[in-house]
Amino acid sequence: MKAISVKETRKLLFTPIVENNPIALQILGICSALAVTVKMDVTLIMCIALTSVVTLSNLFISIIRHYIPDSIRIIVQMTIISSLVIIVDELLKAYAYEASKQLSVFVGLIITNCIVMGRAEAYAMKNPPIKSMLDGFGNGLGYSFVLLVVAAIREIFGSGTFFGMQIMPETYPVNNFLLLPPSSFIIIGIMIWVIRSFSKSQVEENENPLKAHTFKPLTVKKEVQSG
Amino acid sequence: MNKMIIPLIACIACAVVVSVTAVTVRPEQNLNVENEKKLKILAAAGITTDEVEKEFSKIKTLYVDFKSNQLVEVTENYDHIKASSNVAQSSLVPKEQDIAILKRRENVAPIYVWYSEQNQIQKIVLPIRGYGLWGTLYGYLSLDADLNTVKGIEYYDHKETPGLGGEVDNPVWKSDWNGKKVYDSSGNVVLYVTKGPSTEEYEIDGISGATLTSNGVSNMIKYWLGENGYGPVLEMLRGDKA
Repeated sequence: MKAISVKETRKLLFTPIVENNPIALQILGICSALAVTVKMDVTLIMCIALTSVVTLSNLFISIIRHYIPDSIRIIVQMTIISSLVIIVDELLKAYAYEASKQLSVFVGLIITNCIVMGRAEAYAMKNPPIKSMLDGFGNGLGYSFVLLVVAAIREIFGSGTFFGMQIMPETYPVNNFLLLPPSSFIIIGIMIWVIRSFSKSQVEENENPLKAHTFKPLTVKKEVQSG
Repeated sequence: MNKMIIPLIACIACAVVVSVTAVTVRPEQNLNVENEKKLKILAAAGITTDEVEKEFSKIKTLYVDFKSNQLVEVTENYDHIKASSNVAQSSLVPKEQDIAILKRRENVAPIYVWYSEQNQIQKIVLPIRGYGLWGTLYGYLSLDADLNTVKGIEYYDHKETPGLGGEVDNPVWKSDWNGKKVYDSSGNVVLYVTKGPSTEEYEIDGISGATLTSNGVSNMIKYWLGENGYGPVLEMLRGDKA
């Protein structure tokens, strides 16, 4: 096996954090980003859980990638991913009971998290194990970065605490809007805006531009022709 | 055929790893669940603490036999929830009495009592349960020294809809129970969950959008504190004190 250069390692680990972030650029895994970002401690555990699942699933899938028949590859990937998620869930119930109660179904829902499946299908099926593992870990970090930023904003300005410690003055009123899931939509939206205003390459091309002087849909024209 | 061997091995390996993990961490998980129950018992009585064992050791656990309505001794590690599905340790609840939809009820249930130094009852916690909308709610109700005034209520397990019936966990709703009266002057259970805000001292705020859960809570209070539940024993304990 060829050794991986430092430069490549760095690229695998750090490009998913800002340049190719799974949430901010690929818009994957939004569901859990909305649901588990009320408190920092819970969010941190969710990030660790997802990062370990995506790292290990990429590793195992990459190891057996040449032996997975193409027609059942998704099923094999799902088997490995769901086994890892169940293990993480069981461990959380045993050693981090409080957090696992607050995370409730969202640990189980890592199975359907698009980032995990996306990395398995897009990267681990085509690349050697160590590289895949690094790629998984990098994407886990990218996911964690967005979640932790969102959770920090929501906890500090929502309930006035950080990791449960009071940091806002006692008179700070609880901001209920930030405690509810829709607020993370807006925070993630603003984050994407900020990231894209710094790296213009992430800005998508307008796929459906409005033509100048458009006043009738094209379909009406066709009907006239055929009639 | 050969193509299928690796995926097959992968599947078996996954199954083995998952089962082994599940079995090895089971004792830890059970410990957490037990600890959670103790926490809820203390929380129902208005005690929040990190030293669960220390606080819990102040409590005297008594066991109530529902057939004779007397206090009885039980074997160690008696679990009344397990007993309720054991044919030898439980009995069928007659349909006309079964307002909390229990179907079977254990013959012996624990009650948790705080005694003062003069051997007076200070407060008491009763395990209650009953059917809500999606499943059985398991919880504890705490009464004050007069065995009539509610101190608090806590649920440790339920399957109600988060945000609707799940609001039984809402601290604001739970705080409404404090100071409410269970019995009227002639000893009937009058405490119930009303619709809308509560106005009387035997009414609890209704939970919006959760009528069936609210009814379930009302029914389990009526059943467990009534004549078929802890009612006669509470009567007896009240008599002891006077």
